[in-house]
Amino acid sequence: MKIYKIILVLITCIFFSSCEDVIDVALDTAPPKLVVFASIEWKKGTSGNNQKVKLTTTTAYFNTVIPTVSGATVFITNSKKTKFNFIETPNTGEYLCADFIPQIDETYTLTIITKGETFTATESLKGVSSITNITQRNDGGFTGNEVEIKSFFNDPGDADNFYIFKTKSNISPIPSYDIFDDRFTQGNENFGIYSNEDIKTGDNLDITLFGISKRYFEYMRKLTAIAGSSSGGPFATPSATVRGNIINQTNSKNFALGYFNVSETDFRNYIIK
Amino acid sequence: MISKKIIYLLLLVLSSLSSFSQEKFTISGTISASNSNESLIGVNIVAKGTKSYAITNEYGFYSLTLPTGEYEIVISSIGFSTLSERISLTQNTKKNYALDEAGQELKEVVINTDKTTVNIRKPEMSVNKLSISAIKKMPVILGEVDVIKSILFLPGVTNAGEGQSGFNVRGGGADQNLILLDEATIFNSSHVFGFFSVFNPDAIKDLKLYKGGIPARFGGRVSSVLDIYQKDGNSKKFGVSGGIGLVTSRLLFEGPIVKDKGSFLVAGRGSYAHLFLKLADNENSAYFYDLNTKMNYKLNPNNNLYLSGYFGRDLFSLNKSFINTYGNATLNLRWNHLFSDKLFSNLSLIYSDYYYGLNLDLVGFEWNSGIRNYNIKYDFKNYISDKMKLNYGLNGIYYDFNPGVIEPSNATSGIIYRQLEKKYAFEPSIYIDAEQNLSQNLSIYYGLRYSMFYRLGSSNVNLYQNNQAVVFDQDTQIYEKATPIGTQFYGKNEVIASFNNLEPRFAASYQLNDNESVKASYNRMTQYLQLITNTASPTPLDVWTPSDKYIQPQILDQVAMGYFKNFGDEKYSLELETFYKKTKNRIDYIDGADLIANEAIEQIVLNGEMRAYGLEVLLRKNTGKFSGWLAYTLSKSEQRTPGRNATETGINEGNWYRSGYDKLHNLTLTSTYDFSEKWTFGANFVVQTGQPVTFPNSQYEYGYPAITIPSFGLRNGNSLPTYHHLDVSATYVPKSNKKKNWKGEWVFSIYNLYGRKNAASISFRQNETTGSNEALRLSIFGIVPGISYNFKF
Repeated sequence: MKIYKIILVLITCIFFSSCEDVIDVALDTAPPKLVVFASIEWKKGTSGNNQKVKLTTTTAYFNTVIPTVSGATVFITNSKKTKFNFIETPNTGEYLCADFIPQIDETYTLTIITKGETFTATESLKGVSSITNITQRNDGGFTGNEVEIKSFFNDPGDADNFYIFKTKSNISPIPSYDIFDDRFTQGNENFGIYSNEDIKTGDNLDITLFGISKRYFEYMRKLTAIAGSSSGGPFATPSATVRGNIINQTNSKNFALGYFNVSETDFRNYIIK
Repeated sequence: MISKKIIYLLLLVLSSLSSFSQEKFTISGTISASNSNESLIGVNIVAKGTKSYAITNEYGFYSLTLPTGEYEIVISSIGFSTLSERISLTQNTKKNYALDEAGQELKEVVINTDKTTVNIRKPEMSVNKLSISAIKKMPVILGEVDVIKSILFLPGVTNAGEGQSGFNVRGGGADQNLILLDEATIFNSSHVFGFFSVFNPDAIKDLKLYKGGIPARFGGRVSSVLDIYQKDGNSKKFGVSGGIGLVTSRLLFEGPIVKDKGSFLVAGRGSYAHLFLKLADNENSAYFYDLNTKMNYKLNPNNNLYLSGYFGRDLFSLNKSFINTYGNATLNLRWNHLFSDKLFSNLSLIYSDYYYGLNLDLVGFEWNSGIRNYNIKYDFKNYISDKMKLNYGLNGIYYDFNPGVIEPSNATSGIIYRQLEKKYAFEPSIYIDAEQNLSQNLSIYYGLRYSMFYRLGSSNVNLYQNNQAVVFDQDTQIYEKATPIGTQFYGKNEVIASFNNLEPRFAASYQLNDNESVKASYNRMTQYLQLITNTASPTPLDVWTPSDKYIQPQILDQVAMGYFKNFGDEKYSLELETFYKKTKNRIDYIDGADLIANEAIEQIVLNGEMRAYGLEVLLRKNTGKFSGWLAYTLSKSEQRTPGRNATETGINEGNWYRSGYDKLHNLTLTSTYDFSEKWTFGANFVVQTGQPVTFPNSQYEYGYPAITIPSFGLRNGNSLPTYHHLDVSATYVPKSNKKKNWKGEWVFSIYNLYGRKNAASISFRQNETTGSNEALRLSIFGIVPGISYNFKF
């Protein structure tokens, strides 16, 4: 539950929203670093054979083009040493695999070799409950006039579980993330929440529920906090670069950003009524 | 060599204690305002032509011992007409004086020349006093007189930014200030998340801010003490005063219980912006109110009783899906007793509590938390001779922390009831200090406080491998929460962790001549309570936690030196001070620490350190039609948290970084101009270095579809643009109707006269519609006019 964030956003909005201006700020730029987006997602009801890893680098904050990394060697191995190769679609930085074998609780290791340095990361595949029900109200959210979508599922009571709720609407290029755990709701019915005041009847939502590891939960919590609009506000926590689980085996000083995650997911498409 | 010095010092002390051949007598009593019997704090009582003086204490009591003889006693206080009287001292004498407010009709012979030079002589430095009448003349946002905002104009005092809570003294954290209202601790000094302070200016008599050289009777916070006293109430006649402003209205009743013996005071203040929202059918609501009450009763000349209380609440509600309530409450019973005309005592029984509640119906979540403390204090002031004054006392505080009860807020909520582990602690302390005139020119102050702290059960305490609640992942170079390897249960009142510290205090003043002196001071302070906050400015969400097995108490050492001068026939005064302070065990938070309802705070904090140093200049014009002050501070405030061993990076790679309220330059100008009997004008100006911030030094994308993520360099490496604003006010007092006894005044103000768009923050985000990155400046106040009407009858 992102209660803390909600409150901070609220406090900030209520008192300050009327005096926001977009301004120009001169910023320094640090040398580029490798960025790994390797989220292996096994959608319920699919084979999970087709997977993708994307390699990019950091760039100046206001640049509109993100540089990609080509020519790298990328593969994943499981605990039985089975190797799944990821082959680049030329000059896109996107590395694809068509024979991946997903298995709940299996441990996977990602290896990336680029520019003479080897990067690795290890995660195990977390299972997830199914979405049981989706509700809509049109007088929700904090302002009381937002469309509010709640997607319910049952939290298993025998373990600490961590979740991502990703909602992508057709009205924004950016997906919305709700990242939470079962700290306050262990074993009960739980829900992910999405609200938006601009969305209207007929609009389309892609809702994905991820089961994730505690470490990825911590990572995504920090990542979405600094990516969100509360970043830098008077009640924001100090901003720091978020480190993931990618380790440079050749030169640990030249660390990579990003994360290697392996999740089972449940997907729903929802049309606003 | 050292032992010789000590013996010499001891001899000096003893010689001053022993009586000389000439017989000495004591004149003692209380000093009050003539129109209300309100006792006056910090009044100077000087025997003219001698170096002997006394200053009234917090209860208006003074005691001055002099050799037999004829004296001219001069009594002076800011805002009051100076009084002088010839006395013949041939026996111990009780003498109470009543001072007339300056500007009142003069009843007695009043002299205004021959001002005292007590501020030059006294071994007290790094202390600022503000009279409530001076505070009321300062221009403020929306015309709301604000005690906390007014002290931001003093040298060495700043806050994180516009509209933010708390204040920072000499580069210290807002949590390091001890805020006392009639001796009771106030845990949160702000209303509406920092826009207003919790002190109703009508009910306040006096305030004193100690930035350094803090006397031994204070302890428990390392940075400063803000000592605020409520009015006692008029024991001569019944009176009503109040005010109507744009944000709040105030009403105060005071009067005698028994004439000249006892009085009461009740003051209330409330905001009413929410009423307009209701009229407009808006379901959102935000309001605050507070209530100050006080009663005092003089049992006989040697015994006084005081009962005072404060209750304040903020309520903030948004569409009923989010309700937030918080506030302080205090109750205090005090008994003043004079054992003799040289021995004054005060016994206080104090209860104070801070409550914070949150109801988030949207996700079915309700959270109630708070802190309660019970405090007993017994203080003695022993006026041994004209050369020596001794203070000693003891104090015990019991704390009951409730980090929170989590409950479902409605029947369908999936939230499970949970009481977060309560925490208990006991903080006893004893102190003794002495103020002594060693020679005509040299006065010293020395004291010692012995503080103890016991973290008590009943409580379950987490146990960790190698006693480390935070672990460092070598692979990813990240600090992470450790998983407890077990818990240990401690029974009721069983000691979980204990600490004790000796806190020496020292100050000296050397008078160069009647108008100039140099002073130096040293103080060590210990703070056993930590405010768990990870933001530049404290929020009401922040919780206090006691020191324990994993979180060490903060220990501060501060040295300060200063030069003080009165000139132009005491029209002007100049104070120059430099300071250096260092705090051990300042906690810092691992990246991405999650603070709310966190039961294991130890898993997200590391012990670091803090340092601050600077130069302060204060130039005052004390008298005349035009008065005010100019304050400039040049200072640095930094902190660091190195790795616990060579393999760890520490926070911010173990480097020193600017604290969130580091302001290299800070210049303030405060002035008032008495134009005529009807009109008074005021102007304030502030210019200071922008708040430290961390701007991104690159971006990258993550996720599908990708969101852009900023990447940051070292912490607080950037600054917001320079912060400045000019504020003006005009006070109009219409001719008062003598028959009706009604006195009214209008206060007009404009905050930020030239409409500077000061950045409260600059945030970086991805535009939700276009998906591209942008920098967003938040500025809170443009030009803000204000108007209020105050009355008294």
